[in-house]
Amino acid sequence: MPDMTSLAHPQQRSFNPYSENGGTILAIAGADFSVIAGDTRQSEGYSIQTRYAPKVFRLTDRAVLAVNGFAADGNMFVKKVKQRLEWYRHAHSKDMPLRAIARLIQTMLYARRFFPYYVYNILGGIEEDGTGAVYSFDPVGSYEREACRAAGAAQSLVQPFLDNQIYFKNQTPALGTSHPAHLPLPTVLSIVIDSFTSATERHIEVGDGLEMYVVLAKGRNLQGLEGVRGMQELTVTDDGERVFVVRRDLKKD
Amino acid sequence: MSIMEYNGGSVIAMVGKDCVAIASDLRLGNQALSISSNFQKVFPVTDRIYVGLPGLGTDVTTLRERFRYRINMYTIKEEREIEPETFAHLVSSTLYEHRFGPYFIEPVIAGLSKTPSGGVKPLIAAADLIGCLNFAKDFVVAGTASTKLLGVAEGLWEPDLEPEDLFETISQTLLNSVDRDAFSGWGAVVHVITKDSIISRTLKGRMD
Amino acid sequence: MASADGGAYSYSLTVFSPSGKLVQIEHALAAVSQGTTSLGIKASNGIVIATEKKSSSILVDDSVIDKVAIVCPNIGLVYSGMGPDFRVLLTKARKSAQAYWKLYGEYPPTKVLTQEIATVMQQATQSGGVRPFGVSLLVAGWDNNRGPSLYQVDPSGSFWAWKASAIGKNMTNAKTFLEKRYNDDISLEDAIHTALLTLKEGFEGEMTEKTIEIGVVTVPTLAELEEGKIGGETGRPKPTFRKLSEEEVRDYLAL
Repeated sequence: MPDMTSLAHPQQRSFNPYSENGGTILAIAGADFSVIAGDTRQSEGYSIQTRYAPKVFRLTDRAVLAVNGFAADGNMFVKKVKQRLEWYRHAHSKDMPLRAIARLIQTMLYARRFFPYYVYNILGGIEEDGTGAVYSFDPVGSYEREACRAAGAAQSLVQPFLDNQIYFKNQTPALGTSHPAHLPLPTVLSIVIDSFTSATERHIEVGDGLEMYVVLAKGRNLQGLEGVRGMQELTVTDDGERVFVVRRDLKKD
Repeated sequence: MSIMEYNGGSVIAMVGKDCVAIASDLRLGNQALSISSNFQKVFPVTDRIYVGLPGLGTDVTTLRERFRYRINMYTIKEEREIEPETFAHLVSSTLYEHRFGPYFIEPVIAGLSKTPSGGVKPLIAAADLIGCLNFAKDFVVAGTASTKLLGVAEGLWEPDLEPEDLFETISQTLLNSVDRDAFSGWGAVVHVITKDSIISRTLKGRMD
Repeated sequence: MASADGGAYSYSLTVFSPSGKLVQIEHALAAVSQGTTSLGIKASNGIVIATEKKSSSILVDDSVIDKVAIVCPNIGLVYSGMGPDFRVLLTKARKSAQAYWKLYGEYPPTKVLTQEIATVMQQATQSGGVRPFGVSLLVAGWDNNRGPSLYQVDPSGSFWAWKASAIGKNMTNAKTFLEKRYNDDISLEDAIHTALLTLKEGFEGEMTEKTIEIGVVTVPTLAELEEGKIGGETGRPKPTFRKLSEEEVRDYLAL
């Protein structure tokens, strides 16, 4: 029988509870609408796990949440947010307002300050005053309201493009004119599509499919959305905010 | 810490219609500390070729001198100016000579080559730090803002841009990319090479 | 001038004789003029280089003797003088062409390669422990910059560009013959025939495809150039220099 004491030397084992599943999300706020988009590829390392794993979720008729990072955490987080929104409905007989959802998300993220959800969140939708809004979060709950935000694997590719196309950074308006504060919906949609085709072209973790959610403020017409290929309405009535999804293919290589 | 981030800096080149453009930022840093806002990293090689050398500052200077020497020797020996494609190979072999102790530079080359029928053909190329060449049809990028440059260029670039439009496209691409890169920025310089002239402009950016 | 036994200056390669000559180089030239005749003619659309191949015995298998040789796809050589010396130079020239390819991704222009060879030959006139190369060379090539060009290199390392030239035995006669026959707009086909006629002048024995070697430089068409210098499959440029096969030589001799 071997001498167990002489064999016993310190051993270290470790378990990494996180992984990174690629993909990119993006949201842009208009004057009375909001577009929240994400690709559908899910990967781990150099392997593609699936070509269709949604990262963008409808929370209410006026709020859509995009989650990017560690997919398991992301899915669980969305599940818990949805649960809290359900409880809110039971208690108050109405949907939670967007700015309240944003604060809820920050609280939920910060609650896990020392074992965070390994995800970047972008919340888009319509505020109570009818304006389009985008809120972006870091994994531990820091958040701000913005006009546009990209996050995820191709953030560095997309964000400077949005700075230029949405905020008109480094562009000087012609004399006596000024840059528009908000862009029309068709323009925003084509910027989103261009952003994702560009990211797909140059980033291996982005591609396969694109899901763009459009939230329209109450009582607004479709603003050109009616002609968009691959559009589908998710809300059943047109007397409140309306939510649409546009699905497109992205390159699969 | 990445060696590319020690001094920072980025370069991009784009193809247009019978013209090419090359642009760089002007920052020289010491890690997070900015030292100079007028550090050139794009240099003329011939009347129709420019080379950009983003990377470690000391190697920018050394390689520039090395290429100057080799180009002068070539021009005298061959009694003609070097063509962009030949120069790209020269850059590649110069870097590969140091395969196991490389210069920390990722060169970008932009030039117009002569066609047999007397016209000009735009040529751009980029190499990694050991000289692996990439001849692209559209644009090439290098430096600390390379991912940003790639994303923006992919969105803004289109084929057959005229010199002035190419200037606008490359300038916007560079400026917006370096604004999202802490290691690049502090102004930019842009060169557009056409058949009969070179347009060089120095741009102010966010300067922060 | 060197006396019959060589004189006091004839063994030291690097010492000038009082008359200003390097006697060893004179001897090397003498070795060249004992070699078989070679010649080159630059035509309006190409170049031909040709030589007489002479075996010392009928027992020699002359199919493996090469006097016209390819250096790189755009340049070829022919020599008169000492075969072994030529092989050394040919190897050096080929290595030089490949080194140029490694550096620039293309093969050298004819002039640059000629200069490289000439440098090697010059060094043999000034270095210790060596003798000059006992050959003269004709270098024929095509390049983007200068088009078709024909150079002659001598044992001293000096070189000139020619429209037409001859080296080796009977070179004086051959050159006189070429002077009479040459004009600036001669075609490659005519030049090949002129080359054969010139060789015939001083030829000993029968001119056959076994005793004649021919190499030609062809000028690529504009379309071929536009297509790009890299041949798709091999990554190598389309050759502009090639040796004529025995069949082709036989056909030219028959005409």
